[in-house]
Amino acid sequence: MIRRSLASTTTLAAMIAVLLIAQAPVAGQAQSPATKSAQAKAITGGGKSWTPPRTPDGKPDLQGVWTNNTVTPLERPKELAGKEFYTEAELQALAKQERERLAQVEDEGQPPANHSGVEGAPADDVHYDFSQFGLDRGQAKLAWNRRTSIIVGPQGTVPPLTPDARKRLAEIRAKAKGHEFDGPENLPLGARCLARPNVGPPLLPSAYNSNLQIVQGAGYVAIETEMIHDVRIIPTDGRPHIPESIHQWYGDSVGHWEDNTLVIDTTNFTELTPFKGAQNLHVIERLTLADEDTILYQFTVEDPGMWTKPWSGELPITKIDGQLYEYACHEANSPLANTLRGARVAEERAANKSAK
Amino acid sequence: MKTKLFVLIGLLMAAAPAFAHHGFAAEFDQTRPLKLKGTVAKWEVSNPHSWIQMDVKGNDGKVVTWMIEGGSPNNLYRLGFTKDSLPPGSEILVDGYQAKDLSTRAVGKSVTFSDGRKLFLGLHTRESDPETKK
Amino acid sequence: MIAGVAVLCVLSLAAPPSAAQAPAYRAPRTANGKPELSGIWQALNTADWNLEGEAAAAGPVPSLGAVFARPPGLGVVEGNEIPYLPAMAAKKKENQANWAQLDPEVKCYLPGVPRATYLPYPFQIVQSQNTILISYEYAGAVRIINMGAPTKAPADSWMGWSNGHWEGETLVVDVTSQNEDTWFDRSGNFHSDALHVVERYTPRSADTLNYEATIEDPKIFSRPWKISMPLYRRVEKNVRLLEYKCPEFAEELLYGPLRKKSSN
Repeated sequence: MIRRSLASTTTLAAMIAVLLIAQAPVAGQAQSPATKSAQAKAITGGGKSWTPPRTPDGKPDLQGVWTNNTVTPLERPKELAGKEFYTEAELQALAKQERERLAQVEDEGQPPANHSGVEGAPADDVHYDFSQFGLDRGQAKLAWNRRTSIIVGPQGTVPPLTPDARKRLAEIRAKAKGHEFDGPENLPLGARCLARPNVGPPLLPSAYNSNLQIVQGAGYVAIETEMIHDVRIIPTDGRPHIPESIHQWYGDSVGHWEDNTLVIDTTNFTELTPFKGAQNLHVIERLTLADEDTILYQFTVEDPGMWTKPWSGELPITKIDGQLYEYACHEANSPLANTLRGARVAEERAANKSAK
Repeated sequence: MKTKLFVLIGLLMAAAPAFAHHGFAAEFDQTRPLKLKGTVAKWEVSNPHSWIQMDVKGNDGKVVTWMIEGGSPNNLYRLGFTKDSLPPGSEILVDGYQAKDLSTRAVGKSVTFSDGRKLFLGLHTRESDPETKK
Repeated sequence: MIAGVAVLCVLSLAAPPSAAQAPAYRAPRTANGKPELSGIWQALNTADWNLEGEAAAAGPVPSLGAVFARPPGLGVVEGNEIPYLPAMAAKKKENQANWAQLDPEVKCYLPGVPRATYLPYPFQIVQSQNTILISYEYAGAVRIINMGAPTKAPADSWMGWSNGHWEGETLVVDVTSQNEDTWFDRSGNFHSDALHVVERYTPRSADTLNYEATIEDPKIFSRPWKISMPLYRRVEKNVRLLEYKCPEFAEELLYGPLRKKSSN
């Protein structure tokens, strides 16, 4: 059970499903300095200070092609409650498990799982084998770290929803139930090639192609995520956010430099992204070059109308060889058409059956 | 409530990554498994899914073109494969499920060569490609 | 008087050899000494309607009247004629007759190069030493221009594969490996997957660039041909690209027929 629960990469959408059910109250606790330095060591692998390379105009150079592909889940599994970090030995064991899992998948193929896109549906076998297309996370570089969850702190889980948010989400779910395949607007934003949870912000790992490229120009930092070739261009000139009335899938980001850290502040999200039902979301990200091959990525998510308190996460982003390739999603989005067509055929069959 | 949470976590924490973006079961029919043997006509290296166009000779001797859905090709490029890595004429075996609308479309649960080799695992030796390495 | 003439001669001898008339504009430099092209830019012409010149004409949607009629334009093609091979000219006419149904822009497909440059939306150049990123507001299109040693594409793509280098004040970008599915404009001008584009971005003043693209496609055209136009800097305070993720706006067109028929 532990092995299975640890060896996974979950999408944000899946995590939201957990949110809807997780009602357990969480005792808030401030981070102790010991925890903080333990974190720094765990992520960076050393307490020594390090001077990052600089761009010609004097800013820390975060440029390059990176991945946040990981085995670390967003939320801490129940069995590990209270355990924020693995030991070195445990991490090695985890890496070995991951290698063995990949070998098994490459040999026997991917096991059945819930591929339906409908929460709680039974596992089915209808899929293509990830590993044959190089899409298993073990076939790409993994950003290892000793954390047991991306979310930091003693609990390591998303805080409880406010009563208002619970009500709101229940209404949304009730409305959607039974209509999952009615039309394109009923399908997830990722299936429609409009917006993907890995872009966030916060940037979270995707099941595959979990890559990004950072390019820094005068007064701007551009972050391109491979899926769906989305670019966030962050101005660092201290300008204000766009008007409150303008909402965007990925919000509006403004940034500034604090010593060696790029701090990004994002508001103006829609009510669907990145967390369905959040109406007043505010995300703060911090990117610090921890060593030549690692960016320490930290984020805080807050929306008092959605969660009882803010929550924060941390994961390393590691450099990869190679580059981003075009992920032109919408242009060949046959799965969307085929999904709707399949649903229509299934309905017709059901109607014919009952007509007999 | 607690049981529900555990079951859901169990599902989410399963070895396979969550696929919440794609309703495979809505497109393809679990009650229509199939095995196809044929030759590659074309490999469409598109996103979000690639497609293998294959010619399958039926028992009646007629050749039917099937479209087999596969994965995003991007990491294959990083591993050194190109659009020419699955040459037309390659003989392949598809083990999968047919499209719900009964067209000549299928999802290839496993796609192998006639000798049992998996499709892109070890298809060709990865030379150190200067274009894919820094 | 003779001294004055002598001074004039010396001055003209000292003039930069490349300048035919006025001396070339010298853009501010990036921190590593290259012309600074970073910023938000936009074309201000009717190239996306028709690369070749045309008079105004009715649009495809009568109910949109003058809001969506075809505007007049002088054209941006040098020589004002795109040199189709005789067999391909017929295909262009067919495209043109059915452009509203066939134009990939209607479906919000990625536009390819050079169309991405002159769509009626701004784009942003983020310029770094080894990489130049161009982000287009339309459809979130983006491309990465490799400024190091040239590399090759593993497969075709919508936005192609860009390798760039500097020639004095000009950024030269060589674009290959575009697929055949994009058009040049809303008038049916098209190409094959043999398309080869060479772009040249040259600063011409503090807030304008001169943009040229040489287009070569031996399967479709009888010779290479060239377009050119100014690009204007968007100078509003705090201007930024916004999201124009238009696949959403094409959904009714693409998937409407597959929607569940309402029973009530």
